[in-house]
Formats: sequence, C-alpha cells, structure tokens
Amino acid sequence: MRRGKRMLENLEQEIRDHIERETHDNIERGLPPEEARYAAIRKFGNVTRVQEETRDVWTLVWLEQLVQDIRFGLRMLRKSPGFTTVAAGILALAIGASTAIFSAVYAVLLQPLPYANPQQLVVVFGANLKEGVKETGIPYLDFDELRAQNHVFSETAATAGHSLTLTGAGDPAEVKTEVVTPEYFSLLDVKPLLGRTFLSEDGRRGAAPVVILSENLWRDRLGADPRILGKSITLDKRPFAVVGVMPGTFRSPVFIEEPRDIWIPMVQDPLFGGLMTLRSRPGFGILARLRPGTPSAQAQAEMDAIAARLAKEWPAEDSGWTMGVVPLQRVIAGNVKTALLVLLGSVGTVLLIACVNIANLFLTRATTRAREMGIRVALGAGRNRIVRQLLTESVVLGLVGGTLGVFLAYGGVRELSSLLPSGFPRVQDIRIDGWVLGFALLLSVGAGVVFGVAPGFFAAGPDVQGSLKEGSGHTGKGGVQRRARNLLAVAEVALAMVLLVAAGLLIRSFATLTSVNPGFDADHLLKAEVSLPQFEYSTPQQWTAFSNELLTRIQAEPGMQNSAIAVPLPLADGPVNLGFEIEGNPVVRPGTSRTADYVAVSPGYFRVMQIPLLRGRLFSEQDEMPAPPAPRVTLISEALARLYFPNQDPIGKRMSFGFPPKGKSWREVVGIVGDVRDVSLHQEPGPMMYVPYAQAPFWGAVVVARTTLSTSSAANTIRQDVRSIDKDLPVTDIESMIDALSASVAQPRFGMFLLSLFGALALILAAAGIFGVISYSVSSRTREVGIRVALGAARGKILQLILSETAKLVLLGLAIGIGGALALGRFLGSLLFEVRPTDPLTFAGVAILLALVTLAAAYVPARRAMRVDPMVALRHE
Amino acid sequence: MSTKEQKERIELLQGTLDLLILRTLLLGPTHGHAIAKAIEFRSEDVLQVEQGSLYPALHRLIKRRWITVEDGTSENNRRAKFYRLTASGRRQLTAETSKWNKLAGAIARILRPAE
Repeated sequence: MRRGKRMLENLEQEIRDHIERETHDNIERGLPPEEARYAAIRKFGNVTRVQEETRDVWTLVWLEQLVQDIRFGLRMLRKSPGFTTVAAGILALAIGASTAIFSAVYAVLLQPLPYANPQQLVVVFGANLKEGVKETGIPYLDFDELRAQNHVFSETAATAGHSLTLTGAGDPAEVKTEVVTPEYFSLLDVKPLLGRTFLSEDGRRGAAPVVILSENLWRDRLGADPRILGKSITLDKRPFAVVGVMPGTFRSPVFIEEPRDIWIPMVQDPLFGGLMTLRSRPGFGILARLRPGTPSAQAQAEMDAIAARLAKEWPAEDSGWTMGVVPLQRVIAGNVKTALLVLLGSVGTVLLIACVNIANLFLTRATTRAREMGIRVALGAGRNRIVRQLLTESVVLGLVGGTLGVFLAYGGVRELSSLLPSGFPRVQDIRIDGWVLGFALLLSVGAGVVFGVAPGFFAAGPDVQGSLKEGSGHTGKGGVQRRARNLLAVAEVALAMVLLVAAGLLIRSFATLTSVNPGFDADHLLKAEVSLPQFEYSTPQQWTAFSNELLTRIQAEPGMQNSAIAVPLPLADGPVNLGFEIEGNPVVRPGTSRTADYVAVSPGYFRVMQIPLLRGRLFSEQDEMPAPPAPRVTLISEALARLYFPNQDPIGKRMSFGFPPKGKSWREVVGIVGDVRDVSLHQEPGPMMYVPYAQAPFWGAVVVARTTLSTSSAANTIRQDVRSIDKDLPVTDIESMIDALSASVAQPRFGMFLLSLFGALALILAAAGIFGVISYSVSSRTREVGIRVALGAARGKILQLILSETAKLVLLGLAIGIGGALALGRFLGSLLFEVRPTDPLTFAGVAILLALVTLAAAYVPARRAMRVDPMVALRHE
Repeated sequence: MSTKEQKERIELLQGTLDLLILRTLLLGPTHGHAIAKAIEFRSEDVLQVEQGSLYPALHRLIKRRWITVEDGTSENNRRAKFYRLTASGRRQLTAETSKWNKLAGAIARILRPAE
C-alpha cells in the first residue's frame, strides 16, 4: 500500500505531460493548436477514469468501492424518505416476525437440550399397537426389570407428577410435585443450587422423607432461607427434610408441562409410592441415558427382547405391550414440531411477499433512475459495477430493515412467549441469541439480494442512447419491465393465496373445534379443586365425610344450590381410564382390554352439568350410602352401551371394575347417560362409566357449580366453606368451565391466531403490491389513455380495460396459488380438526376475498386513469 | 469518441497491452507517451491504444515487479518518469511471447480453412 502511494505521486502531472506531448506531436503533424489538443485528449480517453483505475491497482478495490457504495446507498435511501420508510417498514415487520418465530423453532427443534451429552438421553415408552396405544408409560414392576436386565443404559429413572399440599409456610398451598426415582438428577447430570440431589438411599423403603425445592418456592415461600438445608417442610401433613434447592433454570425435561415446585423420592409419595408394587398401567414416564457410543437401535432391540420376555412371564398384564426408545429431543419437540414448521413456512412466505413488494418498488425506482444509470454507463461504469452498486443499495436497505426487525423481534419474542399455550416445550429457552441474530442477518442480506436482483438485472443493461434521449426517464425497455412487474404481482397473489388458504383452514378448523358440543353445558359453570392431605385424611370414610360436609355447606350458600362433586372432572382433569368386565361375557382375552373413563360423582352431578339421562335412572340419595350395605351401582355412557352392549339392554347387567385397580367389585348398570368429550374437544367421546362418590371416594374433590354469581364471589364462597371445615386446606384451579374449555384449545388457537395474523399481513402486502403495479402501469400509460379518450373511448371502457388487465394477473396468481396450496396442504393435515386440507369452501372463500381485495386495490388507480384529461395527457412528457 | 473511430480500432485483448509494454521496454527505459507512440508506430497504427489505459497497465506491472520507475529527463530536457524492464520482467516477456505465439498460431490454423 505504501509503495503504491509513492508510485501514485505526480500521476496527474504525468498524465498532463503525456497529453501535452501528444498535442505537441499533433501540432508538428500540422493540426491547428486547438484541434491538436482536442485530438490528444480524445486519444487519451477519460482522464478521471484512468486515474481511478490506476489508483485501483494499488488499493483493495472491492473494499473501497463497497464503502463507497454503502455510503451512496445510504444517501439514496435518505434522499427518498417515503420509499425508504415504506420498504424498511415492510421489511422490519417481515424480518421481525420471521426472527421471532425462528427463535421458537431454534429453541425447540434445533438447540441442544441443556443437559450434558443430550444426544444420549432417551425416553422409553410403553405401547400396544393392537389397541392403538402409543407412547404411554411403563408399569413400575416392568420398569424394575428393565432397569435390572438392560445393558444399553447407563442410568434409568421413573417419574410422575401431581400436587401435594404444603402447610406451615404461609397460606396452605398446592405445590406442583415431581415424584422421581433417585437416579433422576444424576441421569440428567444437573447440579443443585444448594445442598445435594437424591442419593440411592433416599429411594429405599423406610428411608427418612426428603425433598428438593425449586429456587422459586425457596424464594417465594421460604424467604430464600440460606440455612434451609436440614429443616423440614410439611407436605400432606408429613414432614420432609430439605436436602437441596434446584436452580430456577432447571425444568423437568419431559412428561410434565408446568414447572415443578418440589421433587420427592417416589417411595415417599402418598399416591405413586403405592403403585410401585404393581404392574398397573398407564404406569410411569421412563427416562434413560444410553451408554456412551450405544446406538439407539441397539437399545430398541434390547427393549424388544425385554418386552417379549415380560409378555411371556406376565401374559395378563403385559401381553401385546412393547417398549419404544425415542430420543428425548424428539419427544420434547414432537407435539409442536408441525405447528412450528408451518408457522415458520408462513412467516417465510410473508417475508417473500414483502421482498416481492420491495422488488417492485425498486423496479419502479430503477425506471426513474434509468437516466442516472445511463449517465454512469456513458461515463464508463461497467455492467458489473452497476449491478454491484444496486445490490449494495438493496442489501443496505435489507440491513436497515433487518436491524429494525430485530428490535421488533425482541418485542415479538416476549409477546410470543406470553401467547404460547401452557405446556409448550422449552419456553424458557426461547430468546434472541447469537444464532437467532445470525438468522436475522442472513434474512436481511438474503432479502436484500432477492429484491435487488430484479432491478439490478434490468438496470444493468440500459440502452444508454435510449435512456439519455428519452426525456422523462422512461427507458425504451418498457415491455420487459412491465412483464417483470406483472410477474411479481402474480407471484404476490399466488403466495398470498397459499398463506391465506392455510390461515383459512386453521380458522375453520378452530371454529369447528370450538363449536363441538362437549356433551354438557359449560355456560355459568364454575369449578374448584380441593385436595385432601392423605396423611391426615387417610380413610375413605374421612374423604366421604369431608365431601358431604363441603357439598352441604356450599349448597346452603345463596346462588350455589346447583352444585355437585366429580372426580376427575371432564376436560379439566386428566381422565382415569380403567379396564372392566361384563358379567356373562367371556373374560377379556389377555393383552386386549375393555377400558372406559371412570368418574365418581355426587347425585346432583348430571343435573348440574346438564348431561341428559337417556334410559333408566340417575343416582339417588340411596346410592349415597357407602356400599355395602347399599347395592353397588353404575351409570354408563351412550358410547359404552353402544360398543359393549350391542343389541341388548344394559340396564340390570353387571360390570366389574374399581379404582385403584385392586379394588374391583361388581356393579349393576342402572342407567345410560349422554356422551361427554372428557379427554379433549377434538377427541370423539369414548366409553365412560360413573359411580356414586360415596361408594368410591377420592382424597379430594372437584366442586362444580352452576351459578349466576361472578367467578370471584363464587370462588370466595367456596374458599370460606372449605376453610370453615379445615383451615389448612388449599383451594386451587378455580375457574369458569368456559375458561377451562378455552384453555384446552390453547394450542390450536395459538396456531390459528398467528397464521391469521400472517395471512392478514400477506393480504395487505399483496393488495399494496397490486396497487403499486397498477398505479405505475396507469401513470406510464397516461398518454395512451389520453389518446384513447381523445379518439372517443368511453371512460367506463378505460376503467374496464385496466380492471380486466388486473383481473388477468390476479386470476393467474390465484390459479398458481391454488396449485401451491393443494400441494402444501398435506403438511397442515395433522393440525386440522374435521376439515380436509382441500376444503373447497375455504379455497373458494379465500380466492374470492383475495380477488375482491386486489381488484379494490386496482380500482383506485384505475379510476384515476378514467379521469385523465386528454389535453393534459397528450402534453404529458 | 465517434462511432466510426471506435469501429476501426482493434481492441486489445486483456493482458496483451502488458505484453506490448514489456516488449517496448526491452529496447530501453522510456516514458509513458513514448511507449504509446512506439506501440502505435510498430503496429503501423493498427493498434490504437486508448493512451490512458497505458497507466493502469504500467502500475500493474510495477506492482508485479516486472518493471521499475525512476525520474529522468526526456529528449527535450523535461523531467519525466522513466519505466525500466527488470530481470523478472524480461523472463516474463520471454514466457508470455512464446505463449502468445502458440496462441496466435493455433488461432490462425483454425481460421485459415474457413477463408
């Protein structure tokens, strides 16, 4: 570089000398001095360019030109603030949305799990393909054998989740508990904030009860006591010694949706501890860590062998059941993968439409800048140089838009996190980090290149003579340009069509889903859960006494007469699915089972929920006596009667089942009630069986009340009544049934909401694009329109002419878009409820909407064309 | 820059000018204008170099250390920059000349039958 500087000294002088010498020669050849000098200069060529090129020999040319181009690009953007604002705004929106969605995609699908060697972590599922059961748990005794017999896992752990009652630390509260075997923490290889995790001694029967707290619980309820270790907290009225505190960043990786407050060894749990000696299903969630270097396929082969052995050994329980090994990351992403990818695709489409729009704007500007380009070429700029400069301009714009977009994305991610349905995996990992920023940068530059290419392509080869001659700056290549512009408009309509169809399908699916009759009337229905600490309320008699007392008190309150108790409550709680037998029918073949969802209810339940009685009778006061001495009875749902009592009258028949599964007893069917969607709104109602609460009590209750009181005052009433019986009992999950229903469709609503948002954006962008194209076409044809009008064309005809041209573009776009939507529809299939991805109504509706909106967008400039004054038009240019 | 003049001039192939400069300097160091004149003269005015393009080419050659530049005095006693061939420039000239002859021969053989 320094050598270059020295070499370049006096270059100007040298060139001047050169020209002087040439002039001198010319004079000697007999030319008059003036002409001699002119000829010398002509022969030398462009002095400035020669100087530049000579200097370029010594400089990092591309760098210097890049800096120059960027400065020039920024100046151009500043010079046309309207263009810049619109383009950068559109881009910022599209890039911001894409970045926000990508941050979720990255967190859930791409980012490695926050555990050591996460690729070794797997889940072992139970499955029974004959019964269509996939990815369920594994009975504890089977887990025990799996743990002892396998050679592929370095560690295995069983886990389950529920709630316990915490007393003695502020108000009594339900604490979300994960019940684990002691290997759980060492398997995940996570370290506590304080103290220790579980040791294998903690998992032995008869060991002292211990608990690990979450940082949140430790701070919120225990004042972040630094000497907490060794102290006791009271769970379900039993003391547990605190041995550790997990950091707030720790989340249970799988099976459990909401963050946990505490962890206890399984053997200490009042519910799951009892299941550890059973082969009962659905069993427990099983986590395992593969030995280093063990392929997942080898683990699968060994699980197959173990499952086959178990099925032979325990035909009644295990025949037909297999075990599947699935990588943890895939399990976590499983539920939301499709939805996320669809969202990413949609937001990408929005970005593409935005790019097309901006390409259009650039194209229009390239036309008006044709003169500038002509001059540049005339002054000696090479074709590549001009393309490079235009590309730099568009990439600079892309980066400006991208930067704004990243700011929007920060807000977007916060908004997104609050919109996400509860139970969405890895919410805490969704943030804007280096990878996401890298993605945004890639998008910005990519977008800049995409919308820079079209104008760059057309501007690069301007026919110099033409553009310099044409006064007002229209190039002689109008035909090519118009075709390009039309192509972009068609592309926009097609892309918008695809996106709107997707949004339309999800909206329709969601509408269908929410209009499904759950089988009961959710209006003015309220629910509240009361859980009884099992160590204090340990006998069924105590549970019944408490529930009866509670219901009596609640029903005595004004406005609350219409109340009942049910466990578990449909849709609000997970279902309890039990096998059953029918008297007189052959015993169920091993490995297949008749199952139905089981609910224990107080007599008023069906009246409160407005579930119709179809045949027989409802439960009576007499059934409210513990059995025996009262006869054991059951009510069955219509689906159960249809499936298992075909062509016969079930009333008077006897069925055997019970909860817990050990407590089976024979019950007489006394009536048939309507079906209820108890698992989720999008699942067909399955068979259900009801028993009187007094005959099969639980250690807690869900109160349902049909009331015109507000949720909060009804909630207060219920709280007071519970407290008046036992001041240490927490009441949780008080909400209206409408809210509970709405929460159960949070995930489809989330997908629909975002896709509708993107669809609306696409619609607006497409309309803006058409508006731009038609406006430009109209203004560049002012003269033609003027002539037509002057020659007597009716103004209506002009309007018709322009609109029909638009219609052609729109129809072509719609046709391509419909093709695209049909091709891509299958990706939506799993997200749709009772709507096919080819739903003709959605396609037609969207096509009409898009056609109307785009034609309306074209109408504005078309009217302007109609009102053209021929005199003005003919003088135009 | 009239169209007629543009058409009559034979445009130099990329790199050819470098070769011509090196060949010219083989006769001895001289200044830019003289190089241009020499090329025109020796090609009997067929090769009309746009004289300005000489300078970027000269600097390219300096950068590659095939020629050097020094201050000198021209024939009419004026100060000027004199360009001189270096040893490596001389080697480059030999290599390029034989390459060029091969190329020209090959092209001539291809074109002959068509005429």
